[in-house]
Amino acid sequence: MNRQTLAFALAGSLATALASAALAGPLPAEKMVGMEKCYGISLAGQNDCAAGAGTTCAGTSTMDYQGNAWKAVPAGTCATMDVNGHKGMLEPMKG
Amino acid sequence: MNLAVNSTMSPAQDHATREAAFAAALLDPALPMPAGLTTARGRPDPLRFAVYRNNVAVGLIRALEARFPVVEKLVGADFFKAMARAFIRTEQPATPLIFAYGDGFADFIAGFQPAASVPYLADVARLEALWTRAYHAADRAPLGIAALAAVAPEELALLRLVAHPAAALVRSAFPVGSIWQAHQGDTVATPASVAAETVLVARPDLAVTVTVLPQEDAAFAATLLAGATVGDAAEAALEANPAFDFGPAIVGLFALGAFTALETPDGASDD
Amino acid sequence: MATAVTTAPTPDTTHRTASLPVRAGLGLKPEHVHEILDTRPDIGFFEVHAENYMGDGGAPHRALAEIVSRYPLSLHGVGLSIGAARPLDPGHLARLRRLIERYRPQSFSEHLAWSTHDTGFLNDLMPLPYTQETLARVARHVDEVQQATGCRMLLENPSTYVLFEDSTIDEIDFLDAVAERSGCGLLLDVNNVMVSAVNHRLDPFAYIDRFPLDRVGEIHLAGYDETVDGAGDRLLIDAHGSAVRADVFDLYLHTIGRSGPLPTLVEWDNDVPSLAVLLAEANRVDAALADESARRGAPLRLRA
Repeated sequence: MNRQTLAFALAGSLATALASAALAGPLPAEKMVGMEKCYGISLAGQNDCAAGAGTTCAGTSTMDYQGNAWKAVPAGTCATMDVNGHKGMLEPMKG
Repeated sequence: MNLAVNSTMSPAQDHATREAAFAAALLDPALPMPAGLTTARGRPDPLRFAVYRNNVAVGLIRALEARFPVVEKLVGADFFKAMARAFIRTEQPATPLIFAYGDGFADFIAGFQPAASVPYLADVARLEALWTRAYHAADRAPLGIAALAAVAPEELALLRLVAHPAAALVRSAFPVGSIWQAHQGDTVATPASVAAETVLVARPDLAVTVTVLPQEDAAFAATLLAGATVGDAAEAALEANPAFDFGPAIVGLFALGAFTALETPDGASDD
Repeated sequence: MATAVTTAPTPDTTHRTASLPVRAGLGLKPEHVHEILDTRPDIGFFEVHAENYMGDGGAPHRALAEIVSRYPLSLHGVGLSIGAARPLDPGHLARLRRLIERYRPQSFSEHLAWSTHDTGFLNDLMPLPYTQETLARVARHVDEVQQATGCRMLLENPSTYVLFEDSTIDEIDFLDAVAERSGCGLLLDVNNVMVSAVNHRLDPFAYIDRFPLDRVGEIHLAGYDETVDGAGDRLLIDAHGSAVRADVFDLYLHTIGRSGPLPTLVEWDNDVPSLAVLLAEANRVDAALADESARRGAPLRLRA
């Protein structure tokens, strides 16, 4: 495609998209999208900052600094979730 | 040349050297407790030094748990903790901004052999890292679609768009957005898709949005956000997928708050 | 309300640091922000960890701006690494200065500790030996912080689990000397006093009796955890995950009995309870402050 044809095609495609968005009325931009095509899904989610230094003390009840190996099969969701034929089989870790 | 070695270090060197030994022993439990520490009974007690070791490990692991909750759900709390413990020895926070800790976690996971059977895990970590980055990104009003509509047709292909500080893509060979979404509730749903997904993380206002882009728009979005001209991005997208439709694709990216300004070929910018 | 921290770090030991109200304050937890803005509880001030608000923008800043428009703010740093051998990080000082300029807190405080080394930030408050060398360095670092931020800071006494063989200066004398040289005020963490005193077999009441209380601009209270060390001795851990323990509250009453009422923060950072539980802790502190004021014949006005 040469540059001029491209410019033409882009402008035409954009004009169509803007026009059909305008037909839907003066909606905020987020609403326009749905009119065009299913532009994905907006997903929720929230997390926030951890506490600061000196406030994360776990005392000595759980000694997490030690690289102790664990033996149990992981209780994560990847073990049951089939993603394109991948089912998680996490390997035990050595200390 | 004076060959006599002065064995007494200056106080500052001494303090720095001892701090270095303290820090090294904090991060490596195989090292002995640093010399020079004692108790009121006059006897060094490794269990007391272990409190500091534990605080460092727990603090950093908790920071990763807070930033990567879906990765944790995927592999389970025990595996995550072990993986995080391995990571914190390779990389400590670059600054005291603990919410920014873990930018290298996804790459670490990608090379982490025990998790090799979960090939999408690193991409989920990339998505979660971008989520926090977007959450704390600078406040900028996204560029409205009117700015694009006002561009002369002949200038459209030469336009460049400035990415919003929160906007970033994860391009994955796996359904990374669907996996992430499936883990947002208390119970884990079945991922809605098994196809490769490209996800745009953005934050037009205060709320972080995670949006799975239509696959035919992925190359366009990636090229455009990387700073290419609209024309080059469209050509790359058409090459990747002849079904690519420019109009809805760019209107969609604008609507998601992906940009803050546009730059016309003559160097003028408009935001 | 929004008078900023005292500017110009001129040593002035007769002057009380804080323009925080002489009330109970609470650590601001993100999960409580909406409830606080909706219900406007009568709290003297809120305290935040400076580092949690050093991102560029977004919800944390929006929330803090709302809080600051309604309550006095105490800004509490956890990452300056004032006690380290290495120089202060100019980038971090700049972030701190921007934060102080933006929110004009009524108080800024940091710790007598170090937390950053060559490999990065360690996310805990490490102890330092108390010697003439470390004293000179800490006083210089405090001075640099005050010069960079344009405000007088408070330096907090640490909770520690080990002692250094080569320490030559008593902790109280060390803090007093830093304050004298730099002009900074002190933040007296009464829970830290209990933790360190038990851990090092000292009398916590004697510690308070020797502490230069006229330099104190704010008090911290928190809950500790308890375990035993390798010798079987009690080992207290500064855990911030429970209500203030009875012995610490007694020590607090003893403290304000000597110092008079002071702005007092209740810290609760792990296993954070409902806002109602935190408010009950704050009420307990407010009641103690009111009693102490009444005892001194100057009743404390709890409500504006």
